[in-house]
Amino acid sequence: MKRLPTWKKFTTLSLVFILGLLPLASCSSDKPDTAAINGSQANRAQQQAPTKLADGKYEVQQATFDDGTGVYTAFLLNTTPPTFRSSALQMARLTPEEEKAGEKGYLKVTNGQAALHIPEKFQISYVHNVTEEKTNAQTGQKETVVVRQESSFWTPFLGAVAGNMVANALFAPRYYMPPAYSAGGLRGYGGSGTSYNQAIGQYQSRYGSPPLAVQNQRALRSTGLSRFPRNDSASRSMQNNRSTGSGYGSSNLRRNNDQQYRSAPRSGGFGSMQRSRSFGGMRRR
Amino acid sequence: MTSWRDRFNKMTGQTRFVVCRLFLHLGGEQVAPLLGVLNRSAQEALESDGDLNVLGEGLVKICESLLQYDSMWASAANEGNVFWDEGEAGDFVQELFTDSSQRYMSEPDTTASSEQTDLYAPATRNVVVMITVAYEGEVPALETDLTKDIAIKEGLKALISLHYQEKLRAVQVHFSPARFGDELDPDQLLLNFPELSPL
Repeated sequence: MKRLPTWKKFTTLSLVFILGLLPLASCSSDKPDTAAINGSQANRAQQQAPTKLADGKYEVQQATFDDGTGVYTAFLLNTTPPTFRSSALQMARLTPEEEKAGEKGYLKVTNGQAALHIPEKFQISYVHNVTEEKTNAQTGQKETVVVRQESSFWTPFLGAVAGNMVANALFAPRYYMPPAYSAGGLRGYGGSGTSYNQAIGQYQSRYGSPPLAVQNQRALRSTGLSRFPRNDSASRSMQNNRSTGSGYGSSNLRRNNDQQYRSAPRSGGFGSMQRSRSFGGMRRR
Repeated sequence: MTSWRDRFNKMTGQTRFVVCRLFLHLGGEQVAPLLGVLNRSAQEALESDGDLNVLGEGLVKICESLLQYDSMWASAANEGNVFWDEGEAGDFVQELFTDSSQRYMSEPDTTASSEQTDLYAPATRNVVVMITVAYEGEVPALETDLTKDIAIKEGLKALISLHYQEKLRAVQVHFSPARFGDELDPDQLLLNFPELSPL
């Protein structure tokens, strides 16, 4: 980042401070926190907006991880809302000093980034989703349907030092992917990294495929393509105002499924399509 | 072009998502072989069940081919948006998919003239490639007006780097016509890709 003049720095910093306090006042209404997913609700849970917490330290009573959505839910003590939900949660092991001081585990939010600091033997409840893949006849999109759920537990830091990680790195917040599911409980981690993608990458290179939550999030779409080459006899000189074409795409971004964006001026084809913060050499009529 | 909000969000450590789409129209006698590269990448993408790594590799191949075909670039357009909310970016990606796919017929009428299997196929003189990606971070080479040769070159190179930096969160490629032997004529081009501006 560029160096800012001191007065500017001061104003931005003070703004951060003021805005940082705002959520404290405004987040008193707690949303229903039913984490239970029945049937094909996996996608819906995934779209639940992550909870926002003001910067600070919160005592954690319990935490769960849902491998169908990749969402962590932390149950906090003396906090409203009492639960914190996020898929981009970093974790770190409590330092020996902290453990000696009787620390049980806490959630620390710094600059909006949450990190779960937990002792070595802390068990995270692990909800395992048994899924089946189905193609939605309407959209042609592949969807993962949850058939049933099993529960287990995950101790990310138990025996983790045995791996190739430098001990110091354990105490700094990082992203972790759980190891491959086993009914008797999970130990250690399947991948870790300083970024979410890096953790996924490490998991993938170990197990050959990305974690379930990432697979579920991934939406492959294609048009005009089939898995098997067509018999080449399609008509060539079509009296049509469109030519042929094909397309494919995949994304691992979460979706809000917000109507606001779908009905943005663009689809109407008239009006100015100047969204705020748009760029490009494309002008629509 | 960093706005106040941009700077603020960056300071508070939020992830910046960018979704952008590039249209590149190639014209000339020799453009048809490009369809081979595009179809191969499409098949690989389907076979991998949408593995972003595989799609990223395909994107690299496509960008490299496009760079080799630079003498045939005829017109281009691009658009994009910055998001601070992953869900909004995801929605926009889906919206662009639908928009891109509406510009061609994905289910050609195969009953019309299936009796003839002529060996002679007129090679199309026009190919349009639509590339949409979503990535994390900031890439100035892509977040600009890409209707100049030099800008497109930088943009395509930036797309290639994004794959190797593992920053791609979504990859989409659409192309028209679909196969060797299909034709995209100037009228269809004008009608379905009105935003293209000549290079």
